[in-house]
Amino acid sequence: MKRLFKNLLIAASCSVLALSVVGCGKKEEKKEDKPAAAAPAPAGPKTIIFASDATYAPMQYTNEQKEIVGFEVDVIKAAAEKGGFKAEFKNVAWDGIFAGLAAGKYDAISSSVSITDERKATMDFSEPIMAIEQMLVVGVKEKATDLAGLKGKSIGAQIGTTSYLVIKDVKGFKAIKTYDEVGLAMEDLVKGAIQAVVADSPVAVEYTTKKHADKIKIAGVLKSDKVENIGIAVKKGNKDVLDLVNKGLAAIKADGTFDKIKAAHQMK
Amino acid sequence: MTDAKIIDVGEGAAIPSKSDWGLFNAWGISIIGAILGIISLLVFQPDPYRRLLVYLGDGIVITFEVTLLSIFCACIIGLITGLGRVSKNKAINLIASTYVEIIRGIPLLVQLFYIYYALGRLLDVHDLTAAIIAMSVCYGAYMGEVFRAGIRAIDKGQTEAARSLGLNGKQTMFLVILPQAWRTILPPVGNEFIALLKDTSLVSILAVSDLLRRGREFSSETFLYFETYTMVALVYLVITLILSKGVSIMEARLSHYVRH
Repeated sequence: MKRLFKNLLIAASCSVLALSVVGCGKKEEKKEDKPAAAAPAPAGPKTIIFASDATYAPMQYTNEQKEIVGFEVDVIKAAAEKGGFKAEFKNVAWDGIFAGLAAGKYDAISSSVSITDERKATMDFSEPIMAIEQMLVVGVKEKATDLAGLKGKSIGAQIGTTSYLVIKDVKGFKAIKTYDEVGLAMEDLVKGAIQAVVADSPVAVEYTTKKHADKIKIAGVLKSDKVENIGIAVKKGNKDVLDLVNKGLAAIKADGTFDKIKAAHQMK
Repeated sequence: MTDAKIIDVGEGAAIPSKSDWGLFNAWGISIIGAILGIISLLVFQPDPYRRLLVYLGDGIVITFEVTLLSIFCACIIGLITGLGRVSKNKAINLIASTYVEIIRGIPLLVQLFYIYYALGRLLDVHDLTAAIIAMSVCYGAYMGEVFRAGIRAIDKGQTEAARSLGLNGKQTMFLVILPQAWRTILPPVGNEFIALLKDTSLVSILAVSDLLRRGREFSSETFLYFETYTMVALVYLVITLILSKGVSIMEARLSHYVRH
């Protein structure tokens, strides 16, 4: 009898514990909806920390000096000069980069983030930096030029990207694989473990013209009825940072600096 | 000399211990807490938890598959290595010892990358195959050490008695030593099984669609990090607890033959 009582007690306390977990989940959601409190005005130029998944050549990657460089990094550095803020870059893995923003580990994400309605629900975006497209990359011998031609084969994309969203619900593939880095997906494609990769256009061009030019090629552009833009993501309601970034971006677009950076990186 | 020598050659005492009874023990509390946790999440907050569990479904199957196949292969490799490590043949002993030294010196994560991405250029291995090979090779080395310790723990008198009864070396090992060594070996091997199960989460870096990767896919798409990883952790916990119970039942069966 005593044991029965004990068991009941444990069962009860366990369910209380479980309920509190549910409660925590709810509370957190509510917190996210509230706008962040305005930060006190800083003295001198404000430092904005940008998280960047530096595995994404040519947009942002680490060079041999272990510095984060790339097209978008140059854009942000130029925008910082015009916008009156200091830009600092932090290398953060893509998978979890949005969680870190929500948790306040950095002020913004500069990592070729495509502006989508789903993402807009949980974070705010700057004005678009530029438009990109989704491209299908295949081995040089592959004849297919669209997703339909790849039925029964394996396809891959980087986890949590718009590239993955394009293929996620397409039926008929042997396997749809997600990779932590787009480079690992390309590696598997070169190896033959998968037959196609979907990636952002700048990245697809980089890999098919520079890294593995003799082994893979661009099969085609995956047409979409919506223009896909990339922008800087900030925590929902963080207007201070957003205004500074927008001011800087507008300034470099107006005075032609942006086009110069584009030309320097041979971006279309 | 039939007293069982239960010496601890693993990471610690097996949980649950045989002396725990009823619901009121570490295992019971954990499993009931975990299952109640999952159920209450599904009941009180069906969205997103139901959608999440459905999404994780095939990942759970893959995790099971990798675990069971790796355990099977690692046991065979471990037995061979263990026998090699106690072998009097110098060459065999050296090969087995070198294998253990090399594998124990390289982190599993690096081994996974190595087999899939580095050797992948030479050998065309499927992602799941690469994962199972890496897990088996790695845990085979650890289990080899457990087997060696278990075999060594059997009193020398047993060998002497068997040999004086006219059994040859092979017969002594397989008919006398190993059947007794199982009892000593099983608790630490059970710990290895559980460690292996948890380490299968590492194979998600090879883009294997296991439980963790499915969770990462779900969270990176829906941004529900708290919900996703709560569920993933609870599912891992339930699987691990079931496995540890299985090991302890096996242990209890084997200790049936021990005379106290």
